[in-house]
Amino acid sequence: MGRLRADGIFYLLALPFAALTIVFGLWPIVLSLQVSLTASATALKAAPVYVGLSNYAAVLADPVFTASLVSTLVYTALAVVLNVGLALAYALLLDSPYVSRGRAFFKLAVFLPVVTPDVAGYVVWRWLYDQSFGAINAALKLLGLPLFGGIADPGTAMLAVLLAELWHHAGFYVVIFLANLAVCEKALSEAASIDGAGPLQRLRFVILPQLRPAIAINVIYALIQFLKTFSVVVVMTKGGPADATNFVSYYAYQLFDQAQYGRATAMATILFAIVLAISLAAYRTAERGRA
Amino acid sequence: MGVAGLVSVVFFYPYLWMVLGAFRSTRDILRHPLALWPEHADFAAFAGIAELSGVALWRVVLNSLGITGVSTALAIAIAASGAYALTRRPRALAFRLLRGGFLLAMMYPYMLLVIPVYIVVYRLGLLGSYAGIVLFLSTGPVQFFLFEQFFRTIPAEVLEAAMIDGATETQILWRVVMPMAAPVVATVGIITFLLNWAQWFPVLVISTTPDTYTLPVALLSLNGELGTDFQAIMALAVVTTIPPAVVFLLAQRRVMGGMTEGAVKG
Repeated sequence: MGRLRADGIFYLLALPFAALTIVFGLWPIVLSLQVSLTASATALKAAPVYVGLSNYAAVLADPVFTASLVSTLVYTALAVVLNVGLALAYALLLDSPYVSRGRAFFKLAVFLPVVTPDVAGYVVWRWLYDQSFGAINAALKLLGLPLFGGIADPGTAMLAVLLAELWHHAGFYVVIFLANLAVCEKALSEAASIDGAGPLQRLRFVILPQLRPAIAINVIYALIQFLKTFSVVVVMTKGGPADATNFVSYYAYQLFDQAQYGRATAMATILFAIVLAISLAAYRTAERGRA
Repeated sequence: MGVAGLVSVVFFYPYLWMVLGAFRSTRDILRHPLALWPEHADFAAFAGIAELSGVALWRVVLNSLGITGVSTALAIAIAASGAYALTRRPRALAFRLLRGGFLLAMMYPYMLLVIPVYIVVYRLGLLGSYAGIVLFLSTGPVQFFLFEQFFRTIPAEVLEAAMIDGATETQILWRVVMPMAAPVVATVGIITFLLNWAQWFPVLVISTTPDTYTLPVALLSLNGELGTDFQAIMALAVVTTIPPAVVFLLAQRRVMGGMTEGAVKG
């Protein structure tokens, strides 16, 4: 009891943090799980009707959900590879002797979009793609190139969304890579060069192994980020055209908007399980690589 | 060098285009979409956004400043005291459970958490209130991890010396630990300001009328209206973008350092 009194100050200090974590973190998760087991019409009533796992069955039997899940996974794979790959290339370029001046500026230029409110950035991109106002098609027309359908064409909508997200997120991955490159052993690279290793060999056998921590962090971060892709869809496409960008988080939100609370929360739980499983698997792979 | 310059130009171009769009008339834009300088500065758009969905622009700006400012101050206090307690008594069962629960909540897809948060805020009677929005924005992973990481680096001898001098735990926290933590407080404060300024989904979900909208939410709703006014949208995007851009440019090292550190730890 004396111990508890001595520690009382720490419990007091942790109280606001604990209260917010429970009220805005854990309670909503429990509530979400509970609602996913009830009939939508009664979900918010005092005495909800429990329907077992039938919302989950309905979600899994819904062809729109299956299509949405497939496009979410395809989009995530493309976005992770492109974001992390291009960020790595850009960081290596900035770290190389080819860039002697202006390093701070080149880093700043790609990081500014990270701290720009995503809604503002995506609103601007939405209009950049526009057929009459947009700069992108005006430039293509000027160069005599074929026009880009952007978010209006089901065939290019996913790519258009991907480019806007690349603009918003890539700077973050670049800075993580640069932080890792700053602590790399430059002497190793020089020694390999003296031993006759070409630039590609040095990259493959000397630099990339040292970048393993940054690659792992960026891939895991990007996986979680893009599996949950949401804002860009709300601002630019509303899931369209022809469901081309109807990713799971957006589809779940739409169901919620239509008061289909049971199915929406069941879908949320399924997506949570997928995010958790994929990020744990990626984390395990990264840990094994380190050992 | 050339490639890095080109990439920087591509990344910067949307900002230039946004500012031009805000100051050029619709007719000029349609005639020359690629112009790099306004024919004549046209301020009509800013008069046009003086009122948004029946709410004065100045009120939306004050909402943004107020909600972001108060939630940032709260987030610092809550994350600092929470992380301090958890670092000082890492083996207490309640704290281990709390830390685990926090990590779990942070992994839950954010926009899906906001849906049940609506129900929670409703049950607390805070729907449509500033309090509901501010409280929701007062907790986050980056803040907690940056403080936790810092508190773990404080040598035990420093705290023991203070205890031998007869300082109480409260005195140690306020007179010894927090002065040492001043740079972390600054970093967390700036990053939280940037993150919370950009928040839109919780604000939209918890609001019941446009009276509590912040700039990004007002921009989203303007962008979604039928018969959109391109120039007005760009003008509001400029207003939304400038404050965080200025803060970032003034504190770039702190922001980039802190955000990567917070991510590496989490």
